[in-house]
Amino acid sequence: MRLLAAFHAAANPNAIPAPHIEYRAILPMLIVFGVACVGVLVEAFVPRVHRAVTQTVLALAGLVAALVAVVANTGLPRRLVVQSAVAADGPTLFIQGTILALSIGALLLIADRSIGADSDFVAQAADLPGTEQERASVRAGLRQTEVFPLAMFAVAGMMLFPAANDLVLAFVALEVLSLPLYLLAGMARRRRLLSQEAAVKYFLLGAFSSAFFVYGLALVYGYAKSVEYGDIATSLTSSDRGDSLVIVGLALIGISLLFKLSGVPFHWWTPDVYQGAPTPITAFMAAGTKVAAFGALLRVFFVAFGGLAWDWRPVVWGVAIATMVVGAILGVTQTDVKRLLAYSSIAHAGFILTAFAATTRASESSVLFYLVAYGFMNIGAFAIVMLVRDADGEANHLSRWVGLGRRSPLMAGIFALFLLAMAGLPPTSGLWAKVAVFQAAYQGGAGPLVIVGVLASAVTAYYYLRIIVLMFSQEPAVEGPTVVMPGALSAAAIALGVAVTIVLGVVPQTVLDLADKAVPFLR
Amino acid sequence: MSPTILAAMHTSGTEAALFWIFGPIAVLAALGVVFARNTVHAALMLGGVMLILALFYAAQDAPFLAFVQVIVYTGAVMMLFLFVLMLVGVDTKERLVETLRGQRLATVVAGLGFLLLLIAGIGNAAIRTSEGLANANYPTNAAGQIQSGGNIYQVAKLIFTRYVFAFEVTSALLITAALGAMVLAHRQRVMPRRTQYELMRERFVRGAHPTPLPGPGVYARHNAVDTPALLPDGSFSELSVPTRIRELSAEQGRRPVPSSLGSAAGSDRSSAEGDER
Repeated sequence: MRLLAAFHAAANPNAIPAPHIEYRAILPMLIVFGVACVGVLVEAFVPRVHRAVTQTVLALAGLVAALVAVVANTGLPRRLVVQSAVAADGPTLFIQGTILALSIGALLLIADRSIGADSDFVAQAADLPGTEQERASVRAGLRQTEVFPLAMFAVAGMMLFPAANDLVLAFVALEVLSLPLYLLAGMARRRRLLSQEAAVKYFLLGAFSSAFFVYGLALVYGYAKSVEYGDIATSLTSSDRGDSLVIVGLALIGISLLFKLSGVPFHWWTPDVYQGAPTPITAFMAAGTKVAAFGALLRVFFVAFGGLAWDWRPVVWGVAIATMVVGAILGVTQTDVKRLLAYSSIAHAGFILTAFAATTRASESSVLFYLVAYGFMNIGAFAIVMLVRDADGEANHLSRWVGLGRRSPLMAGIFALFLLAMAGLPPTSGLWAKVAVFQAAYQGGAGPLVIVGVLASAVTAYYYLRIIVLMFSQEPAVEGPTVVMPGALSAAAIALGVAVTIVLGVVPQTVLDLADKAVPFLR
Repeated sequence: MSPTILAAMHTSGTEAALFWIFGPIAVLAALGVVFARNTVHAALMLGGVMLILALFYAAQDAPFLAFVQVIVYTGAVMMLFLFVLMLVGVDTKERLVETLRGQRLATVVAGLGFLLLLIAGIGNAAIRTSEGLANANYPTNAAGQIQSGGNIYQVAKLIFTRYVFAFEVTSALLITAALGAMVLAHRQRVMPRRTQYELMRERFVRGAHPTPLPGPGVYARHNAVDTPALLPDGSFSELSVPTRIRELSAEQGRRPVPSSLGSAAGSDRSSAEGDER
């Protein structure tokens, strides 16, 4: 083979040398991409009755295999692979492992059809809402199994986004993770117009944010003559060009990243999309996208633009404060549980940004830990939201949740656990996550941010505790919603959320050490 | 170095002239895309912008990009735009009603603010040395010799070596797009297909016109789809003009029946007059 290549090179001086690709390092991503493609083929060739089962098994097996591959790769040396397009380092593996574990949880929710005799997904997305054709599709028991390959593509994009080592690949990954989510957001079974509106909003705003990313990429390339993070970092110390070019470029890229993790003032899409999307997708999106976007944010800002930290830190301070305040205060006024969780996710993004603003090694590891803790409590909370139902599907309005604790103490108790975790109270993972980020922020000299963070936490704790009081202290309404028993798959997802939340709450040290060992990012 | 490469290193007079002539046209066309009332005009101006960009790419030693721009954007993407416009209807007007009060003003202010920021930022950036594509197209080796290359070769080299992963991952994007289009547009038939008999019954139960509708009128001086045909009793046949065209004529303030015809119809003298001409 090598001889042949040498022969070709001798015969043709123009021959392009074959690129060197470390397949093992990118194996987790290749597995997920491969499973997604096979999923598309399943849609084409497997009979309709077997498709859902085939897709579920295939996707779960793929995610587990990829997770195994991530764990197996932990021993490999930290280096740039695939022509230095991908950084195979500790944070990459940690984030990819987190995303895979969260995706397994989300996939269990997506696959479960036992809740309320059907799923949260539309029977046929192409049917117009409210038509006879739509009712006929529901009666025929159709199911849009394309959800599985789409979700797998999104997972692959999420894995690649924080691992990319140049802006071009990061952009492609951003699109790969976003495009399926735009589609999935519009596929809710009920309140379909709301869902489709959410999808269109998410798509339009997301397309704008991608355009900002590309614009910023072009300006940064004009400054650094390269899109690779390492080269950008080098050129920041050596370039003869005015800094304003790279600062404008960085600002535009930052807008795009902050949009994805719903930082204020780029958060407007979050409540609408969280509310409109099918609840399993909301869970998937809230957990997975946030992890991927924060991973990419850390890598871009620390590795490529660390030299400009003096310039971007004040802005991050401002965004962090605005994000915490808006998430906390607007959350108080919400009456829909999915919107409330959306504002809560905005507030959590703010808490994570406090550690990010500190720009220390501890901030990297504390962000990683927070992402794990937050992701799992999120999946669990949305899983419970799926279960509270009445005749029209999910009962999301908070007034319907009155007295739920008396009707179904177990499920309400589990939901209360996730709410306590989000509020950052013991004995949950949320406590240690908050302690970690605030400690990192304080040590990094972001003391004022910690004060705002603690105050905002108190406000968010108010609305979480209000729900708990609502569920337990009052008598249930006569015609209130019921809590359906979860099927095996959702039960597994909830159990996963509960287990991680409690284990990280009682013995957080293992994962804290793991996060600490994973950092720093490969520079 | 060959003269062409030397010339490409600096902005030549021709290139500057090209830029200053076509740059403003591109900007005007881009503004036209935003402000044109007619969607087809907007699409055509977009095509103009794309073509001028292709011209600039070609002028800056990037022939590959120029051709891709023409083939993909001006060719394929523009055609898709026009297809969609035709499907939606050329005459479809946007409803320019502000659902959020003051939104348009806020948009203009924010847009101008963003523009000013960008201009200030980029204008402030001192780019002393501009590389030009010549260095990328014909890189020199350590000894100062020009290595074999050219634009297309170097683009291919980048795509298949340094950016090979990004290139491959893009395929995931295309698969997602195709799958998404299928999901949103393809409808599995769940209700049985209606037979010819059922369709026929439905039509006649509703009391629809049993035969093909009469064609439009053909006169000595008028022969168009919006001209109604004359019935034996001298009145006009409403059925002979398609409903949509009748509506359009009404919208545009045109009377469905030509005025000359209105007075002429039914009168022997004037129809004889028409025959004479």
